[in-house]
Amino acid sequence: MKTEIKHQWFYNQTPGEIWEYLTKAELIEKWLMPNDFEPILGHEFKFTTNPIPNMGLDGNFHCKVIEIIPLKKLVYSWKGGSGGEITLDTIVEWTLVPKENGTELTLLHSGFKEENGSIFTAMFDGWDKNIKKMLEHLNTDDNANTKS
Amino acid sequence: MPTPNLDAFQVIADPSRREILGMLTKDTYNIKALAENFDMSRPAVSKHIKILQTAGFITIQEIGRERHCILNQEGFNELKNWISHFDEFWSRKLQKLDNVLNDKNKT
Repeated sequence: MKTEIKHQWFYNQTPGEIWEYLTKAELIEKWLMPNDFEPILGHEFKFTTNPIPNMGLDGNFHCKVIEIIPLKKLVYSWKGGSGGEITLDTIVEWTLVPKENGTELTLLHSGFKEENGSIFTAMFDGWDKNIKKMLEHLNTDDNANTKS
Repeated sequence: MPTPNLDAFQVIADPSRREILGMLTKDTYNIKALAENFDMSRPAVSKHIKILQTAGFITIQEIGRERHCILNQEGFNELKNWISHFDEFWSRKLQKLDNVLNDKNKT
């Protein structure tokens, strides 16, 4: 099962221009969300948006700069939840690659509970099998009942 | 004993509950058989089962006199929802970034 999100976009602008829009709070806000980002390793910041109650998200994403290589790579943690309790603990990674007429920007949003992801995968795999088993159980039981 | 209303991630954050789910991916178990695999009391196991059931991870089917636990697909839809939500979210935002950058170049 999918536990990460990857998007790759090509922009006509230079890595320098794209980088500004990834690392300047007022420019980030123009396309992403209000925030207090600063391009400093270890800086803790917050994105704020509307809450999504049915997903248990209160609209605050708590982030921390984990890696920053000017014009090339930016990584921050991305945690969300509700009422101070973090239920979404993920990583957002931006990579910039200069191209002939612009920049290739890759976004990798990962960490959707990889640990639990494996159990989910197993559950998906086990699903069909279990249904069949269940039916077998039921059939056996029916037979047993008719016999008695 | 009241069953706390937990979200999907809180439900599976507990190692015992993950183990129960893990066991159920391989076979269906009745509550007694499940409990025998854990170093805790039957009521404690029953509580975990109740939590899993409330969150939609498992369903309990009565077969004869036994209550069998089987996996239910509903529970992990929440995780899928998060992933598809952010997938779509980033798509929109990256498109917006494109628009913002192009608008900037016009002025």
